[in-house]
Amino acid sequence: MSLISGCGADTLVRKTLRPKTNRKKVNAVRAGITGSLNVFVAALREIFEESAYERFLARAKVESSPTAYGKFLRETEDAKARRPKCC
Amino acid sequence: MPKVLRILLWTFISLLGAFALATIALHRGEEINAMWLVVAAVATYAVAYRFYSSFIAAKLLAIDPLRATPAERLDNGRDFVPTNKWVVFGHHFAAIAGPGPLVGPVLAAQFGYLPGTLWIIAGAVLGGCVQDFVILLFSVRRDGKSMTEMAKTEIGKVGGFVSYVAVIAIIIILLGAVALVVVNALKSSPWGTFTIAMTMPIALLMGLYLRRIRPGKVLEASAMGFVLVLAAIFGGQWVSQSPSWAAVFTLSGATLAVLLIVYGFAASVLPVWLLLAPRDYLSTFVKLGTIALLAIGIVALRPSLHMPPLTRFIDGTGPVFAGTVFPFAFLTIACGAVSGFHSLIASGTTPKLISREPETRMVGYGGMLAESMVAIMAMIAASVLQPGVYFAVNSPAGIVGQAPETAAATITAWGFPVTAGEMSSLAHAVGEQTLFNRTGGAPAFAVGMAHIFSNSLGGQALMAIWYHFAIMFEALFILTVLDAGTRVGRFMLQDALGHIWKPLGRTSWYPSILLTSGLIVAAWGYFLWQGVKDPLGGINSLWPLFGICNQLLATVALCVATTIIIKMGRARYVLVTLIPLCWLVAVTFTAAYHKVLNANPRIGFLAHARQLVAAGADARLIFNDRLDAAVAGALVVLVAVVLIESVLEWLRVLSGRKAAEVKEAPFVMTRMALEEQS
Repeated sequence: MSLISGCGADTLVRKTLRPKTNRKKVNAVRAGITGSLNVFVAALREIFEESAYERFLARAKVESSPTAYGKFLRETEDAKARRPKCC
Repeated sequence: MPKVLRILLWTFISLLGAFALATIALHRGEEINAMWLVVAAVATYAVAYRFYSSFIAAKLLAIDPLRATPAERLDNGRDFVPTNKWVVFGHHFAAIAGPGPLVGPVLAAQFGYLPGTLWIIAGAVLGGCVQDFVILLFSVRRDGKSMTEMAKTEIGKVGGFVSYVAVIAIIIILLGAVALVVVNALKSSPWGTFTIAMTMPIALLMGLYLRRIRPGKVLEASAMGFVLVLAAIFGGQWVSQSPSWAAVFTLSGATLAVLLIVYGFAASVLPVWLLLAPRDYLSTFVKLGTIALLAIGIVALRPSLHMPPLTRFIDGTGPVFAGTVFPFAFLTIACGAVSGFHSLIASGTTPKLISREPETRMVGYGGMLAESMVAIMAMIAASVLQPGVYFAVNSPAGIVGQAPETAAATITAWGFPVTAGEMSSLAHAVGEQTLFNRTGGAPAFAVGMAHIFSNSLGGQALMAIWYHFAIMFEALFILTVLDAGTRVGRFMLQDALGHIWKPLGRTSWYPSILLTSGLIVAAWGYFLWQGVKDPLGGINSLWPLFGICNQLLATVALCVATTIIIKMGRARYVLVTLIPLCWLVAVTFTAAYHKVLNANPRIGFLAHARQLVAAGADARLIFNDRLDAAVAGALVVLVAVVLIESVLEWLRVLSGRKAAEVKEAPFVMTRMALEEQS
């Protein structure tokens, strides 16, 4: 920008650059929001044990089904039942 | 950010926090805005997290980003799973946040908002967060070992045994105390009782939906369950207005206690997927949403606090529970400031999910800060009520009298004006027959929460809905603690009995399941029954007893932490855990002394027993007081033994008579660091 300063060129260049800069900012904000939402959903999926079930399916190499979910529940039952909930 | 700007920013936050703290501490005679409490807490937490926790991480714990965690080394895709730090944070927070930080501050508000608020803020940053953080890191360095196992290996067999006994005791007394909170909230309330009763079939339906229709779609099932619970709240309004149905759901305290005991037993013996797991999901769903909603409501409404900073009851004559501000305010608010129970969570599932050591700071220290913020919100919810209303709701009939006019006159004579008509209008507005003598903290919190919500969303027309939403939220919380706690207690008992006769230790053997579940339920059920029958309202005895148990467990956790710190050769930083340890010892031992031996019958169990003997009262009531005294005394003796064991161990190590040897898992370089380097 400094290379073409003077005679109003600054204003012209700034006007030309602004949409790009804005787009960059918008993209960064969008990426930030998407990232945060992804983490939020991942946290919910971990808390609600959906991720644990997916890991089980991957480990056991089976498709999701009532039988597979039953096996997953049996596998995690002991650990879950021993987990205290705080006061 | 340039260094100068950073310094300016942190100076500004520190000054803002100091100014807000000074405002809430020094303001007298005029109401202050609740935002002062929020600003004081947030600024203090920010400064403590930025500076104190990083000091602990760097100097005391020497956190090593290159060291592989058990989640990485032992990754089995099941218990040990390296997980994103925010995900672990959410998971940890969901596990530590229970009804305690909501009920405790509401009860402690009888001293005014100041003692409780200061304790929540200072107790959290200097005690609770430190305990959670160090125990989490020490567990991470020991392959996710539990607190009781660490007590055994670092202090000795006595330490392990006492922490085991303390955990069982705290579970039993906690369950009795929180069940009493539910009973008092639902007593003579057809609307509340119907809503909570409906959560049982809703949970069963969720369990079947997850098992048979959409396997594993928990978020979907929880959202569906939540919608059904909301429908149940509206259905409850209809039930309360129908004379025939209202009669069915209008239950006495004793009936509700029996129903809760039956429920606890059923939840412990039924398969986890059928009742426990879906209820847990539903409760977590409601919990996370409601806490966020309450935070938004407080910031949007910015209510004034009607409760004075200090009330006359700091002298120990309070109607909610008897006892002076020291030590009882510090026992009443356990979760939210320092909670020994957290050490079980910090050495349970969480350490097995941590992928890098530095993340323990955010999860352990930061998670407790978030919990402490919940306690601040509960304090605000209690303090936005007119003090007269607060005391009318929270005072037992044995203190203020049964008739509304008598109760209102007694409370007004204390300097907190309230009329029977005013209470009747309020009860009508929230859809209850009466709000007098609704002890336990939950109804007062619900009225405060309904006040905040209805003023920021929906107006007075929705007051009754918000009140019952709050009651449902708390009862759901508590019932989840009840069924999970009964099951945990059952497993612990089975482990212990398995040493005596092997089949009893088999967790899938039905006779053993029935026997141990029955024993645990009978134990907490007894304390619940005792609370229901107590002429002083039950909370007066049970909540301080629960506080003593919880803080004694924190004492054991801090003993373990201090022992490890000394063995790590970091004795020069030992004050970080030693100061909260000394404070907790002072609080719990003083409180236990008063609860057992104080000559005032409203405080001392034995004095109360003597008073009952003199009055020729029921032998059962006399036995209950003696039992409470024995439990408090026995726990203090056991923890004193751990304390002495720990101090002797510290002296042996510091004097060089014993080698400073920590029992950590061997160092393994993390693959993540190697990948980053390459």
